Amino acid sequence: MELILSLNFYFVFGSFFAKGDGGNGTLSIVNKSNTEIAKNFETSLKDTGIFKVQNDDSFDKAKELMDKDKVSVVVYIPERFGSLEPNSPKKIKIYYVPTNRQSESIVESFSDKYLTTVNMQIQKALPIFSVEKEEGNKPKFNYFDFILIGLIGMALMNSSIQGVAIAMSKYKEDKILKRMTTTPVKSWQFIGAEVFSRLVLNVVQVTLILVIGTYAYDAHINGSIFLVYVLSLIGAILFQSIGFVIASFAKTTDAAEGMSTAITVPMMFLAGVFFPIESLPKWLSSVVQYLPLAPLLRNLRGVALEKNSIFENPNNMGLVLVWIVIMLLIAAKRFRLSEE
Amino acid sequence: MNNVIAVKNLVKKYKDLKAVNNISFEVVKGEIFGLLGENGAGKTTTLEMIEGLRKPTSGTIKVLGLATKKEMDKIKEKIGVQLQSSAYYNYLSLKEILELFGEFYGKDVDALKLLEMVGLISKANSYVGKLSGGQKQRFSIIASLVNDPEIVFLDEPTTGLDPLARRNLWELIAKIKEQGKTIILTTHYLEEAEVLCDRVAIMEKGRILKIGETHKLIESSKDPYKISFYAPKIDRNTIKELENMGNLSNLGGKTNHFEMRLKSQSLLNSAISIIHKFSPESLTVGRSTLEDLFIELTGKRIEE
Repeated sequence: MELILSLNFYFVFGSFFAKGDGGNGTLSIVNKSNTEIAKNFETSLKDTGIFKVQNDDSFDKAKELMDKDKVSVVVYIPERFGSLEPNSPKKIKIYYVPTNRQSESIVESFSDKYLTTVNMQIQKALPIFSVEKEEGNKPKFNYFDFILIGLIGMALMNSSIQGVAIAMSKYKEDKILKRMTTTPVKSWQFIGAEVFSRLVLNVVQVTLILVIGTYAYDAHINGSIFLVYVLSLIGAILFQSIGFVIASFAKTTDAAEGMSTAITVPMMFLAGVFFPIESLPKWLSSVVQYLPLAPLLRNLRGVALEKNSIFENPNNMGLVLVWIVIMLLIAAKRFRLSEE
Repeated sequence: MNNVIAVKNLVKKYKDLKAVNNISFEVVKGEIFGLLGENGAGKTTTLEMIEGLRKPTSGTIKVLGLATKKEMDKIKEKIGVQLQSSAYYNYLSLKEILELFGEFYGKDVDALKLLEMVGLISKANSYVGKLSGGQKQRFSIIASLVNDPEIVFLDEPTTGLDPLARRNLWELIAKIKEQGKTIILTTHYLEEAEVLCDRVAIMEKGRILKIGETHKLIESSKDPYKISFYAPKIDRNTIKELENMGNLSNLGGKTNHFEMRLKSQSLLNSAISIIHKFSPESLTVGRSTLEDLFIELTGKRIEE
């Protein structure tokens, strides 16, 4: 069940980010001019590959398409643009809706740069100052890679917290735990078997997410896959112990379900599954960075996306371990197979 | 002595409530021993302390010569426990559950043989959820036999069952006894205890009011003889006369339907001859039951 839930998210996010248009939508060009400059401008814009470019006959028709959300930006090149005659039009028009500000600014900076070059060529001027770019050493990763790790963390959290809390409460409610204590099986053996079998399931879960992410959505894991598994299992142990704590407090299965949802859902949105914690208001991010899922995700992303070691930032690992110790202590004190 | 269980001065306190208040008793090898009483009398608490599920506040319990305080692990190997309304994994078949529980004892269980014993062989691959109430109880009893225990604990094995299913279970319990196992059970059906139990302990408010062989306890009742009769023609004076001879009560419902309890055979005979004069439409003569004794001891019936 939890497996399916996490994969669901996948398809939603996957299709959202992988529309095949570079993420910036479709651009409509209405080119009324047949000058060399206008033609070159049009071809260059198409060659950038940033947009899916289509040609439309009239400005009005293009605007209509934009109203229907078919295109995100319209570039209008008026008649005789680029002809150098004194009274010919000198401006290209970019038409956009405010929600597509991002696409517009890309077109604008492209156009600006292109026209500047043309202007200089015409005036036979040479650029004096310019920019030199150098790519940093940090491996590249995109937003979907970021989400992929988020999804692993979320899947581990949901399956472990809810799985353990609900199963244990059900066992308690059905007196299966009590029945177990009448046999020679020791509590640690029973709990150990429960934990271990869930860890095996977690390995399958992480593998599925990685495989689908890599092959279906072209996600990248730059660092060590092995370390991703190690961290995932450490995370799973943390979340399972939270599950045991919940089961020790919940009187019924329904209560356990409610309590685990109350813990997992806020964590899902606040601990950095879908977007970096830093993008939250400062007062909020300074608190939520300590939630159990947050340091785990920071560490997982560091290892998977930036090729860091597990202890690159010892605080992350430390925080996860502190949470595990706290949860285990509470669980050990409160969780009993049968009442006294 | 052949005692398999020895309980001495057992107390269990929950805050201010004494759920079990200083009780002592023994269970003899091979017998069916019953703990009787209302809900809340302390039967289950007593049983669960013997099973090692609850810790006594004070007192000692020895099972098969082993103290529960120190050697519970050894005891667990030798006892079989059926809990009140316990469930089993709902995603395993009956056969799988029996085999799994057998593994908890490190034993290979012949699950089919156990299922056959209670007529559930055709359900070997079904789930617990698909069973009727009676079938569930029978299953839960054989599940307590997976380790071939010396002592079997049954906590209210027939509660909530219809009369036929209950009789089925009585037969099963008798069968288990025939295998030489000792059975200790709790029940609030006095009729059931009367049929099944070699010895009973009647509990109320955490204490044992009376303990002994079932038939002897009934005979020890103050008024061991009983007549019940329906005589529409009986008159007031006769009723008064009968009231002086023993404990007469109107059963309610039909008018002039009485039950009378008497101390001696001679009183019984005279009462019968008086009632005969009014040609009763029905007349039953018998001895008192465990229920009569219970009412005598506690002043009340057990309510379901």
